[in-house]
Amino acid sequence: MYQSISPYIPVLILLVLALAFGVVTLMVAWLVRPSKPYDEKLSPYECGINPLMPAKIRVPIRFFVIILLFLLFDVEAVFMYPWAAMYKKLGIWGFVEMFLFIVILLVGYIYAWAKGALEWE
Amino acid sequence: MVPLSHVIIYAFLMFAIGMFGALARRNVFIVLMGIELMLNAVNIALVGFSSYLGNVAGQIMAIFIITVAAGEAAVGLAIVLSIFRNRLTVNIDSFNLLKW
Amino acid sequence: MSWTQFFFYVFAGLSLLCALMVVTRRNAVHSAIFLIITFFFMAAVFVILKAELLAAVQVLVYAGGVVSLMLYVIMLVKAEEASQVKQNLGQIAIAAFIALLLALQVGSIVYLYFAQKPAGKAAVEALKYGGNTEGIGALLYTKYLFPFEVASVLLLAAMVGAIVLAKNRLER
Repeated sequence: MYQSISPYIPVLILLVLALAFGVVTLMVAWLVRPSKPYDEKLSPYECGINPLMPAKIRVPIRFFVIILLFLLFDVEAVFMYPWAAMYKKLGIWGFVEMFLFIVILLVGYIYAWAKGALEWE
Repeated sequence: MVPLSHVIIYAFLMFAIGMFGALARRNVFIVLMGIELMLNAVNIALVGFSSYLGNVAGQIMAIFIITVAAGEAAVGLAIVLSIFRNRLTVNIDSFNLLKW
Repeated sequence: MSWTQFFFYVFAGLSLLCALMVVTRRNAVHSAIFLIITFFFMAAVFVILKAELLAAVQVLVYAGGVVSLMLYVIMLVKAEEASQVKQNLGQIAIAAFIALLLALQVGSIVYLYFAQKPAGKAAVEALKYGGNTEGIGALLYTKYLFPFEVASVLLLAAMVGAIVLAKNRLER
């Protein structure tokens, strides 16, 4: 069982290093820095100029449609991983299956396109 | 090796937390997150049984559950958006049009 | 206790802790961030249970897709609006009671029937084909072909439905 988990030891080491980097940096900064709080420091950082408007605005709804399409095609891509790994053994029939799958989702893509969900103006 | 019973108990604790979130909270986003947690708890149980039985059918079912969860999140959030457009709130108590 | 088991308890405990934070935070944005961390720990548990493909899918679809969609919608409605929802103490008490009852009931049954049987061996059927991903591919595109094709129809329906619901807003 030690053998079975050993490929993930580097991942664990990376995780520990990443956590330690963040924690150590923050701790050192906390120990070294002088503490002079004033209001200006709490405003969002915009490269030194004064903030133009509040940061908590409502983002446009177009982002919703874009990320929605991303999510659904993301799931489509997930189904392609095992298919690609087994492609040689599945042969031509596997190709037909995936073709059908993609065609059905293409209908949705064409619908989104026709409805103007991808336009941005 | 991890005992199967511990995996299943982990799955049910996760399910209970998700159900608590879906029942107790009034913020519709946290209710949706509770539903996602419940779906994930089912995935954990399926994967636990899959590795206990030495059979990948449970993992395939879990992939289908993830697909359904993605569709559910997409449509659910679109519904939340269109309700927010009419009611200007995300409090689930005011989503009461279907109530008698 | 082996290392495998030790890491299982660590990751399971951390994910349960983060899930508790998800359902108790007042601000929905904080909940969403904790949800991402929960999904990462769950992916680690999947790796321990020898479901490597599912661990990758978990990070890709949930942490990358579903939660970012939620975060976008939380930003679409006013962020302050989402954190100002009042809670009712009675409702919380009843919900906690029901959730605990369910966990105790099902947990005790499961514990009695499946006590101490080992999970976490690799799916032997999958190893025949070379690995977890290959094993899933071999079954998904032969035995589970019909659910696979139906999944695409489901995704199509979700896409069309969500675009129709968001559409009115687009036209304005």
